[in-house]
Amino acid sequence: MHIPDGFLPPTVAIAGYAITGGATWFSVRQIRQDSDPTANIPKAALLTAAFFVASLIHIPIPPSSIHLVLNGLMGIILGYYAFPAILIGLFFQAVMFGHGGISSLGVNTAMMGIPALLAYYGFWWSQRGKRTPPLWRKISVFLAGGGALLLSAATFVIITITTIPPELNADLERNAIYASLIGYSIQALIEGSFTVMVIVFLERVKPEVLKVSEP
Amino acid sequence: MRYLLLGVLTCVPVLAGMGEAVAHGSNIEYRQTEAIQITAKYDSGTPMGEAQVTVYSPDDPATPWVQGVTDEQGNFTFVPDPDQRGNWEVKVRQSGHGDIISIPLEEQEAETASTSESATITQATTNTTGYSPLQKGVMAVVGVWGCVGTALFFLRKKGE
Repeated sequence: MHIPDGFLPPTVAIAGYAITGGATWFSVRQIRQDSDPTANIPKAALLTAAFFVASLIHIPIPPSSIHLVLNGLMGIILGYYAFPAILIGLFFQAVMFGHGGISSLGVNTAMMGIPALLAYYGFWWSQRGKRTPPLWRKISVFLAGGGALLLSAATFVIITITTIPPELNADLERNAIYASLIGYSIQALIEGSFTVMVIVFLERVKPEVLKVSEP
Repeated sequence: MRYLLLGVLTCVPVLAGMGEAVAHGSNIEYRQTEAIQITAKYDSGTPMGEAQVTVYSPDDPATPWVQGVTDEQGNFTFVPDPDQRGNWEVKVRQSGHGDIISIPLEEQEAETASTSESATITQATTNTTGYSPLQKGVMAVVGVWGCVGTALFFLRKKGE
């Protein structure tokens, strides 16, 4: 779901950078309000590594293959740290592996980072009660993990459909994009399930990892 | 003389009929030329079948020079204009994914091709990074180690 270099009009690429710049500033400002802003950096660094490597692990889903994005998981565990972590992960993916691009880094970060923040808000909103039943907790984790991916995929589809260059066969490209939506739906189910597995595992093994400040 | 004229007149429809017969026939000409074949694949190795290809010439990189669609194996072949030397940009796109590759067509190659009169097929893939799986693995380990090192650094600071 990484938009490569040269596929976006300059206005869209610049708008993406503007949104990413604003969201990064907002996230860092929120992080600085923590009592110890560096306390969550080890956690953020390790999840950045997971995010960075996840793009290299391909899961074959016909007609092509997918790779996990993990933005929902990052949002739940990292909170506001998720956005800068995704920005750094995407930068290294673009520079080292050519996944995405430097000109499209702003758009790609906004596309994956803002749903991560929304997953964080959504998860906290669902847990606002005194004690939430374990099943409801799992469902909300699944919805946050899968929903973040679906939101990113929807943004990707909207951006790519609205920026099809006039020289291309728009119908052929549009049909290919619609066909890819099936793959993204399956990916959302996988991401949601994977997020639930990780969160349940961490709750049992190291529950303090999941303690991030409330939004 | 009368017989000669009759002979000429009878020949005309026969010749006309022959002309029509030639028009219905087939004619195949060939010339050897310099072609560029690209192979587009996803990172997983799956071919990008039926992806849209747009080729831009070095002289006019803003206007598509030729367009087409890859075959099921992700292959697309085009014959560049031998007079236009420089970087031919090839963009392959499918469902918002794809890549752009720059294929240099050097002056020297043109001389070689014209003197030896042999066809040159240049092969290239859309993998812009061009790294082997081992190189990618090493880079991934380096990237992960950078993140782990950052985590360890901040943990150490916290422990002091």
